[in-house]
This record gives sequence, C-alpha cells and structure tokens, in this order.
Amino acid sequence: MAPKKDPRAPIKKAEPAAAPAAAPAPAPAPAPAPKARPVDLSAVKVEFTADQMEDYREAFGLFDRVGDNKVAYNQIADIMRALGQNPTNKDVNKLLGSPSAEEMANKRVTFEGFLPMLQTIINSPNKAGYEDYVEGLRVFDKEGNGTVMGTELRIVLSTLGEKLNEAEIDALMAGQEDENGCINYEGETSDRDVSTFASCLVACI
Amino acid sequence: MSDADKYLYGDRSGMSNPLAQADWASKKQVWVPSERLGFEAGSVKEELGEECVVELSDSGKKVKINKDDIQKMNPPKFNKVEDMAELTCLNEASVLHNLKERYYSGLIYTYSGLFCVVVNPYKFLPIYSEEIINMYKGKKRHEMPPHIYAITDTAYRSMMQDVCFLCANLSSGESGAGKTENTKKVIQYLAYVASSFKSKKDQGSTALSHGELEKQLLQANPILEAFGNAKTVKNDNSSRFGKFIRINFDVNGYIVGANIETYLLEKSRAIRQAKEERSFHIFYYMLSGAGDKLRSELCLEDYSKYRFLSNGNVTIPGQQDKDMFSETMEAFQIMSIPEEERIGLLKVVSAVLQLGNMTFKKERHSDQASMPDDTAAQKVSHLLGINVTDFTRAILSPRIKVGRDYVQKAQTQEQAEFAVEALAKASYERMFRWLVMRINKALDKTKRQGASFIGILDIAGFEIFELNSFEQLCINYTNEKLQQLFNHTMFILEQEEYQREGIDWSFIDFGLDLQPCIDLIEKHSGPPGILSLLDEECWFPKATDKSFVEKVVQEQGTHPKFQKPKKLKDDADFCIIHYAGKVDYKADAWLMKNMDPLNECVATLLNQSTDKFTADLWRDVDRIVGLDKVAGMSDSMHGAFKSRKGMFRTVGQLYKEQLGNLMATLRNTNPNFVRCIIPNHEKKAGKLEPHLVLDQLRCNGVLEGIRICRQGFPNRIVFQEFRQRYEILTPNAIPKGFMDGKQACVLMIKALELDPNLYRIGQSKVFFRAGVLAHLEEERDMKITDVIICFQAWCRGYVARKAFAKRQQQLMAMKVIQRNLAAYLKLRNWQWWRLFTKVKPLLQVTRQEEEMVAKDEELQKVKERQLQAEEQLQQYETKQQQLNAEKLALQEQLQAETELCAEAEEMRARLASKKQELEEILHDFEARLEEEEDRVGQLHIPTSGASGQIWRERTAEAGDG
Repeated sequence: MAPKKDPRAPIKKAEPAAAPAAAPAPAPAPAPAPKARPVDLSAVKVEFTADQMEDYREAFGLFDRVGDNKVAYNQIADIMRALGQNPTNKDVNKLLGSPSAEEMANKRVTFEGFLPMLQTIINSPNKAGYEDYVEGLRVFDKEGNGTVMGTELRIVLSTLGEKLNEAEIDALMAGQEDENGCINYEGETSDRDVSTFASCLVACI
Repeated sequence: MSDADKYLYGDRSGMSNPLAQADWASKKQVWVPSERLGFEAGSVKEELGEECVVELSDSGKKVKINKDDIQKMNPPKFNKVEDMAELTCLNEASVLHNLKERYYSGLIYTYSGLFCVVVNPYKFLPIYSEEIINMYKGKKRHEMPPHIYAITDTAYRSMMQDVCFLCANLSSGESGAGKTENTKKVIQYLAYVASSFKSKKDQGSTALSHGELEKQLLQANPILEAFGNAKTVKNDNSSRFGKFIRINFDVNGYIVGANIETYLLEKSRAIRQAKEERSFHIFYYMLSGAGDKLRSELCLEDYSKYRFLSNGNVTIPGQQDKDMFSETMEAFQIMSIPEEERIGLLKVVSAVLQLGNMTFKKERHSDQASMPDDTAAQKVSHLLGINVTDFTRAILSPRIKVGRDYVQKAQTQEQAEFAVEALAKASYERMFRWLVMRINKALDKTKRQGASFIGILDIAGFEIFELNSFEQLCINYTNEKLQQLFNHTMFILEQEEYQREGIDWSFIDFGLDLQPCIDLIEKHSGPPGILSLLDEECWFPKATDKSFVEKVVQEQGTHPKFQKPKKLKDDADFCIIHYAGKVDYKADAWLMKNMDPLNECVATLLNQSTDKFTADLWRDVDRIVGLDKVAGMSDSMHGAFKSRKGMFRTVGQLYKEQLGNLMATLRNTNPNFVRCIIPNHEKKAGKLEPHLVLDQLRCNGVLEGIRICRQGFPNRIVFQEFRQRYEILTPNAIPKGFMDGKQACVLMIKALELDPNLYRIGQSKVFFRAGVLAHLEEERDMKITDVIICFQAWCRGYVARKAFAKRQQQLMAMKVIQRNLAAYLKLRNWQWWRLFTKVKPLLQVTRQEEEMVAKDEELQKVKERQLQAEEQLQQYETKQQQLNAEKLALQEQLQAETELCAEAEEMRARLASKKQELEEILHDFEARLEEEEDRVGQLHIPTSGASGQIWRERTAEAGDG
C-alpha cells in the first residue's frame, strides 16, 4: 500500500494547479506539491510561477532519455499528464500539427518549446466532469448498482474511442476490482478506501 | 442442458458489443436490395438528392441506389432479438436478417409481435425434452426464450384462468415448413402438462385411464399421417389436408377428450402423383407390410401392377414402410379400433388401387366403352362386397333418370374412366372422413362437453403458383380469413394496450383491410362473389368454365381486388389481389371440381353393399351430384336437376360453411399464431434462401403484421429502461434525487425536443414511432464515444501520473542508495567501525532493547486480557442486576398471589359454613314435611272411617224409620 499512497499525493495536489491556471491567475497551490524536491528558482515564464516552472522542468528532465534536454514528441502527452492535465490524444496531435508516427518518435522539443504547448492545454482543459464520467460509466452498469464489471470496462476502453493498450489498462485497473471483479465508480465508497476508482475520479476533478 | 440452452438462448453477446455498436454508428449502415442475398449490408457514402452512393460491406463495391430502396439497419443492440416487434427499424430486410442470424445460430423460434415464427431446422434439436417442458411450465412468455412450448403454455394458462376462454394455435406455412411437427409438439406439451397435473393430484385409478387418453391423442397423429400424408418434392411427410384439433379440458385443466376436424384432403393424389412424389403413405405401408394372409385377403399385388401408383415403389430415405405398417396397426390398437374395422379400411384402400387397374376400350363401331378384362372389376367387387355384373353395368351403362323414366345410357370410354377415377377419389375421401370420425369417437371419452378447449389449427399457408386452380382459391380464401382474424386480434390487443396506457390514438380496424377481398370471394349477392357465381353457374345448363369466367368478369370486373388478365391471350383467366400478392387463377374444370360428380348407380350399389363397412361409408348417397347431371348439362336436361336442388351441396358451399364454422369458433378464442417457414427446398439444415423466406414472410402475414405495426407506435420502452439507456442524452434534464419514472421521462423527452407526433407517453411506457429509437441510439452512441474519449484521456493521465510518481520515487531511492553506498565505501575499511559492528550484538544495551520490546509485547497482551476480563465482569454485573430485578418482581408477584389465595380460602370457608347452615335448614324442612305428610295420611283414614260410620248410621236410621 505504501508506495501507492505516495504517488497519489502529487496527483491530488497537481490537480488544483490545472483549474486555476485555466483562469490565468497564477496559482499559489502548487507550492506544497514540490516539497519533495529542493526549490531552486531560475528561469521564469510569464504565465507560470517560478515554483511551477521548476516543477515542470524537473518533470521534463525526467523524461529526457537522451540527455540533450529535449523530449520526443510522443512523450509530450505523457509529460502533460504527469503534470496534472488530461488531454486527449486528439488534442495533443492537433497541438503538434498532426505529426506522422515517425515524427512522433524522432522529433524532439526543448523545454522552452514545450512550455507554450502545456500552456495551451491548460488553457483549454478537458471539460468533462465527474458527473459526465459517472454517466458514461453508468451505461455499462448492467446491474445499476454503481459498479461495472472490470472485464467489461477493459473491453470498452480498449475498443472504443481512443483505444487504450493492454499495458495502460493493466496499470489503470491494478487494485481497482473488488472480489467480484466489479469496479465501483459512483459516489462515496463505504469504507472511504482511497484506492477506489470513484475516489480517484473525484480526486481528479 | 447447456446443449439445449444453446438452441434456446443462443449467443447474444453481439448485442452489447461496443465495437459493433460503434461500427454501426460511424458507418451509417443500411440494407440494399440484392438479387442473390435478398438484402446486402452497406454503408452510405454520399447522398445525391434522390439517390445515394452505398458501399457494400462484403464486396466493397459502390452502388448508386434510389433512396426509397434503401432500408435502415437496426443498431446492434437489436441483434438476434427474440421479438422482432422490438426492432426499431421495422422493415423486410431487418426481419429477414434477424431471422437469418438466429437461424444460423440454431435459434429456430422467433417472435414477431403476436406471431411466433419458426424456421424448419431440418435436423434434430435437443429442445423438446421433458426437462425443457418443465422449464416452460407456468412461465410467462417474456421470461423464457421463444419456443412453441411458451406459446402453448400461454394458451393453456389463459384457458385455465378463464373457464370459458378458448384458445387456438394457428400454424400455417408452406409445405415442409414444419406445421405438423409443431402441432405435434403442442399436443405433446399439452399431453404432458395436463396429465402430469393429474398424476400428482389423484394417483388413484383415474390416472391410468387418463394416461390412456393422452396416449391415444398422441397416437391419432400417426394414423392420420398414414392416411393423409404423402411424400412430395418439398417434403417427405407432407400433410395433404388441413386439420383443426380441439383438445377439451375440464375445469381442473385435465384433458378430457379431443376432436379432430379435417379440411380439403387432396384426394386426387390417390389416383395420380407428380414425378418423384408418392401417393398417401398407407398404400405403400400396406403393400410392404401386409402378411401373406392379409395380402390374399386384400387381393394385393406388386407395386408395379398398380396404375394409380404413378411412380411405382418410391421409398423415403430413413423410413421403412414395412415397419411403419406395423406401427400404424399398433396405433389402431391403442385407439381401440377393432380388427374388422381395420380390415374394412384396408379393403377400401386396396379397392381404390384396384379401381385404377380397370381398363376400358372403345368399341369398334360405336362410341361405347367396353371392358375386355374384368379381373380388376372382380377384385373391386369382391373387396367392396358388391355384385360384379351390377358393378360393371353401372360403370359401362348406368341407368339414368330421364323425365320420369329410367333409361340405360351407354358411356364412352372417357366417361367410364372419369367415373372410375371419381369413384376412387370419393372412396378414399369417404374412408378418410370415416377414419377421422372413428378417431374422434375414440378420443371422446367423456360424453360431456369439456369446460374449455385449446384448438390447434394446422393448415396450409398461402399458395401462389404460376397458375392456380380451385384448390388454391380455397386455401387462399382460408388464409385471407385467418389473416383477417389475426389483424383483428392485433387491432384489439393494440387498442387495449393503448387504452391501458391512456394513449390517445385511434386505430383503423386492420381486419377491415381484407374485407373487400373476402367479399369478392364469398359474398352471397349484390354482386355475388366468385364462389356464389360458381355455384350459380353449376345450375345453369350449357354452362362451361368459360361462361363462368365471363360471368365473373361481368359481375366483379370493377372490383378493386379483381383484375382481368392483362394480355388477351394470357394463360390466366382472372387475378385476385390477395393481401399476400396478386394471384393468377385458371378456371379449368372448376365447375367439375365444384360439383364433384359421381356415378349414382355405383354409389347406390355401394350403399347396398354386403360389406357392412362399405355400406356404412356410402350411407348418404342421396347427396351426390350424379354424373348424368353433369353430362346432362350439355343436353339441357336441367329439369331433373332442379328437382334435386337443395339435396346436394357443392364443394365450394360445403367448404364455405365449414370455414364459416371454424372462423366462428376461432373468433371466440384467444388466438395464438405460429408461422412456420421453410428455409430451403433441398431439405438441408443450416441453409436459408433469402427470397424463399421473404416470399413466405409476405404470404403468411408476418410482413403484413409489421406493416400494421408501423402505423402506430411499435417501439415501447418502460420508463425505467428508457431513463437508464438515454439519460445520457439529456444530462441536466432530470433534477437530482428521486424522481417518478414517468415524470423523468417527460422531462427527458422534452429535453430531446422530439416532434410530438413521434412519441406518446403512457402509464408505464414510452411509445415511439418506428425508427425514432434508432435515431436516439445513434445520438447516444456519439455521446458515449465523446464521454469515453474524455474518460480515456483521464485514464491516460492517471496512468501517466502514476508512472511519473514512480519515476520520482525511483529517483529518490536512487539518491538514498547512492548516499548509503558512499557511506559504506567510507566505512568499509575503517577498523574501528568494523570492531564496533562485531561488538555491538554482544552488548547488554542492545539485548536490553530486545527484552524491552518483548516485555512491551507481553504488557500489551496482559492489558488486553485485563480489558477483556473487565468487560466481562461488567457484563456479568449488569446481568446479575437484571436477574435480581427479575427475582424481586417475581417475589412481589408471589406475595400478591398468596394474598389472593388466602382471601379465596376465607371465602371458601364462609361459603362452606353457609352451606352447612342451609343444609341443616333443609333437613329441618324435610323432617317437617315428612311429619306433615304423616299427619295428612292419618287424617285420611279417620275421615273414611267416619264417613262409613255415618252411612251405616244413616241406613240403620232408615231401617229404623
């Protein structure tokens, strides 16, 4: 359990950053988020606070596998997500000018180049809210009791829309299913178990 | 069980397959008419005004097609639906597709609104076992997958609920579609259900006799099949007659008897068969199965010797005629039909065959017929118990009434041959009728009428050949009537449903749609219908088939359902537009067929036969149309004719009457409709010819039913389901918290902004016009895809954050490891440190720590135990208190009781003393009474003594005086 709790914290904290950023006022919230890391102020970009900038750079650096201070196009979406955004693949593709698969793998971008992209995504956040997700999931709720079958959800997510691959689904579903293979997606959970799907959802929105 | 399940439930996973759903929504799939497949799936690529470009799914070809020819495809939600009335796009293509999909999955039963459609599987399916019967017993129709048992059970239940309710199961379909098989299944089910009741309730003596009745009921079928079925090109065991089986039940729902009525036996089969077809089974059974003794008794010969068996010995694969013979005879035994009657029947059968062997020749100088060889005639006479000479004379030169005299009139060869054939046909038909009558007698155990009945009508469906004759007119007329009944029933039911749901919608009675066509056929007068005209024509001298047609055209020429043939030299004489389509009729030999004439002399002979059985068959000779009448027509001898009017009835008249009775019965019932469909003409399993099936769907009214459905609001969804499925389309229409289903739906529909003419809201359901749901479904799909994409984006975010956090942790862990390693490297070679690590475990301090931990643990445990003990103590204390309180209460109670007891004791003592006193008083009184009585006694004696003394004194005085 322990390793689970930890990562959740930054997620939770990162979220509020997204919302205020939408209204361009700089957010004070992210401050506690990076407390795991020493703060080092350096370059400042107009719309982000220094804290945020540092955070972002740190994250950006983590994704740089080559060491040229750049990341590949196909990593951009993941960095944004790591930083608390929920862009669709379509959004990101549009942002990058609909690159080909090859470009996705080979083209690289600097941190300075990445920042305006992130800003764009933050400015037009995913409008769907918790209610929408619950409504959407309710469609697959055969019993109507606030749960969906894990297997069913797997199929849905891997066949519809922007299909998720096996690895993504495995990572997503780890520890979500109860003993009956169901996933609770709705409302408060009885034992306030932080690992339920519902609370993740709530947390994220 | 699982095997059977496969054939009942099937695999409907496709229904909720989101992939298929998405496919449907994105591609705009439609059905396009196709020569080969009936309809092909395709997706609309482009719309160009009236036309559309459609890409066919299978071939990828693009075709241009008129918009009107395109039929919408149903969303995959409706794949393999059990009730096709639920389909939102109700069209021929979808119905065919659904049937096909189900058939390929081994699901042969499908509902279509009121109908139960069944496609002949041409193989054995494990869905008729007792287990399955038990599964269906007492279940509602919608609870179980479609099955003939479900229909039967519905009929049975509704009959049970309302004592006077009558039910009918109507099956109709093309030959080989499985009508008779399904009828048998119905009987099997009823025999099982209605008797298993009994064995449970009273296992006494009655159970046995009832069991026998059910056995007989089931055995009636093989007998009827032996005599009334034959092998045709389409069907190895084709029923050549229609039947209506009435199973009577008593008030408790037990079978008490049955009655069978037959219609339209194809008697011409007895004398002539088409290529590769057989005559009635019994001929073959008898010829193969009869023993030597029976053979000589029945004068049987070899197959090839009989002219009436056109194709000699045709065998049916997988069936031994010989075995069938003994089976039939066994069935006779079970029906308790005695030996002599069986022989009688077989004699007639043999005689029919022999009649075919009578040959006639034209005499050299005259037109007269002669019979050079009379072996066959002798055999016939022997079999039927009549005199050979009389018989031959009656055939060759029958006595005919002319005016008032009888004359012998020589017959031509054709006339004689015709007479013999007519005789053969009539004999067979009479024998068949007698058989049915006999079976009815056997089945009608109780003389009283059952409280209610279930009727099973098994009759051929609509027939459209290239040229159609009188028989087709009869059968099509029947179907027209049945369809009218169906339409009417549907109309009533629909109206009831609409009323129940409080929906304002007035239907037109669809039953009336068919009335013009029925009038055209059966109307009595003003203007007379075809059957009436035919009868009328039969009375006219010099009438011919041609004059009949002329008359029909003259009387009915302007009827909307009537058409004269387009081309003058067409083969057809006239056309009738039935609901199933236009049918061309050829009026050849209709007058003859309608009158069905017979040689009167022979009939009279047979009536006087020495063979009791034969005489019985020909009891009612006077109803026959004499051959001479027909012949006389051309000789303008209608005088004799008229005198006989009313004595006999034409075939048309009889049939009309029979049908009228049947319809009257059916009209009072609660009908259930089963439609059987033949999937291919090759008797092959797993193959379905689209055009063949489409034609049948059209003919048996399934498509007609759908047409009617479309006029109203065919799609109904209960509020709950509607809300669950489509709430996503109207995210904010329904306020939070509980809301009444109806109200919620009203709000939702308002938010959907539907045209008010597209829906109605009832008491428990929302009603939609055809196709509206498909539209909603499409929107819902788009919406869901949107939400799913957002959700997926969130999922990706979640996963990425998780991965990111992990990476951050890894980074941190790395740093820790680095630090430690650095420290280790530094310490590794520092001797003091090494010493320290060696000594450390030996130190008291370290051990103390361990001990401390152990003690701590112990302490913890003891504390816990202590706590438990305390708790227990507390419990016991409270318990004790309780008990004390109870004890106190009991003591008080006891005290009170004791007091009460003392009081009572006192009272008792008082009463006892009182009683003592009173008894004493009583005693005193009794003593006094005794005393008084004594005294009275003493007083009496002195008195009488005194009076005697006085008397004596007086007399003495008198004597003195």
